[in-house]
Amino acid sequence: MSIVVAEGVSKWYGQVIGLNDVTVSVPPGITGLLGPNGAGKSTFMKLVTGQLQPSKGRISVLGAPIWQHPDLYFRIGFCPEQDAFYERMTGLEWVSALVGLNGLSDADARAAARRALDMVDLSDAANKKIGAYSKGMRQRVKMAQALAHEPELLILDEPLSGMDPIARRRTIRLIREWGRTGRSVIVSSHVLHEIESMTSNILLINQGRILAEGDVHQIRDLIDEHPHTVHIRAEQPRALAREFLGADDVLSLRFEEDAVVVQTGKPDLFYARLTAMAASNEFGSIREVTSPDDNLAAVFEYLVK
Amino acid sequence: MSTPATARRPSYVGSVLRIFDLSLGEMLWSRRSVFLALLVGGPVVLAVISRVVWALTPVDALRVNGASVSGPGIFGLMIWLLYVRFIVPILGVFYGTGLIADEVENRTLTYLFTRPIPRGAVLVGKYLAYLACTVLLILPSVVLVFFLMVPLNGGSIGAQFPSLVGDLGMLAAGLAAYGAVFGWVGARVRRPLVAGLVFVLGWEPAVLLFPGYLKHLTVAYYLQALVPHAMPEDSAISALLQAFSDVPGVAPSLLALAILTGAALWVAARTVESREYVLEQ
Repeated sequence: MSIVVAEGVSKWYGQVIGLNDVTVSVPPGITGLLGPNGAGKSTFMKLVTGQLQPSKGRISVLGAPIWQHPDLYFRIGFCPEQDAFYERMTGLEWVSALVGLNGLSDADARAAARRALDMVDLSDAANKKIGAYSKGMRQRVKMAQALAHEPELLILDEPLSGMDPIARRRTIRLIREWGRTGRSVIVSSHVLHEIESMTSNILLINQGRILAEGDVHQIRDLIDEHPHTVHIRAEQPRALAREFLGADDVLSLRFEEDAVVVQTGKPDLFYARLTAMAASNEFGSIREVTSPDDNLAAVFEYLVK
Repeated sequence: MSTPATARRPSYVGSVLRIFDLSLGEMLWSRRSVFLALLVGGPVVLAVISRVVWALTPVDALRVNGASVSGPGIFGLMIWLLYVRFIVPILGVFYGTGLIADEVENRTLTYLFTRPIPRGAVLVGKYLAYLACTVLLILPSVVLVFFLMVPLNGGSIGAQFPSLVGDLGMLAAGLAAYGAVFGWVGARVRRPLVAGLVFVLGWEPAVLLFPGYLKHLTVAYYLQALVPHAMPEDSAISALLQAFSDVPGVAPSLLALAILTGAALWVAARTVESREYVLEQ
């Protein structure tokens, strides 16, 4: 059974479209919501968490409509994107107070809060005021309030934003472990490799529409079907170009000062060949290889064309 | 990991109390409370100055515009002019409009609205926290002013003590009514503070000066009927007060305030239940 089902869901903010006729089913497990800033990820998250009502269409979570259905919040934990807190409270007080709203007694709420803070490596700072937390600690205490009541579905909006590399790695591990216990996670990001490190199941969203859904490798294939541009600064760009011309996967090429810009239909094959050419030293030194496709926005531009 | 066995749906009252608990400390120690504590301290400062002046320049009788005024009379005047007509409405506006609007502005509403409690309970819990907070602010101020002013010119603290209790009850009724009304305004309007200030500093004083039924659409009209003090006579102030001579009885006023408070709170809770709050990113 799908954990989230959206049927023809649109959301307008006055004249601005936040989400445009989205129909999607999110399967159990970990699902990444990937899209550039302003793509509609947060709107989708707010609809899934029942903070907003669809302007059109229907959305159900764990089998029931979420809007004005507070009982579902027993089963859902939400970590919002915004950096907003009751700054005068300590991390422990804040998480205890919020998890207390889930019907736990004071003692149980405090115990659950301590467990959650431990899971996000904030035990040492539990009694510090949130106002004194670093950005990464604030991200983690937000995570703690989302998972303290051990929900079936964890919804995380840009959870890695502002975390240091170690906290980022631990959080990724935590999310993967959460998924391994049979629970579900929907996690949003605008960074492809972040999502790939957590799950292979992704939804691509841009300009308020779901562009693609499924296994990240299938989506990569979809991405790879589109011409992939590679910019190569080299000592002998014309020699490189001559070699590329004989390859089936090269769709076009042009010169720019000391560089050759290639469009390929098979990036993996192309990069493998380029590595071999660089290693052979037959074409002089290859100084720099860049691709605008490394930029997620460029990938989305390809997909919407 | 599994859902904690002890978790069960909290009752409406339980949810309200949890929100009350969460909100009271935040409200009490906010910058707003510091600012409003200064406002509430104003009458105390006035009372201290009055006592000092009285001690330094003893006269046979305290007079206002030639009329003899007792300590209890001045206390009653301060209650009416400073607390009922100014401080209570201002407290109601600043706290009441912020019950939901502050959470929206601070973008913390998400944490409360993604919990298994009715949204209306969030408003009611915060409203109760507002009542507790404002009563805690105003109570020491009124009591201090009472003890400073009533003994002036031969007033008896013991004899006047019941009126102090009445005053405190009346101020609490005013805070309850204004808080509920502005709680609704804050739940309904995007920038509610301006609307609230226009209501208490523009609409209420204006319509109270004119005959007709418009004054029934104010809180002050019902609240002034609860002021238990006899006002000084033959003074400019008493002449001004004559303009407000159309005052309902105590029982109808109490009933009207109770209905107003209950209805405003109910509508506010319904508004919060059904309205979307779009937080700025």
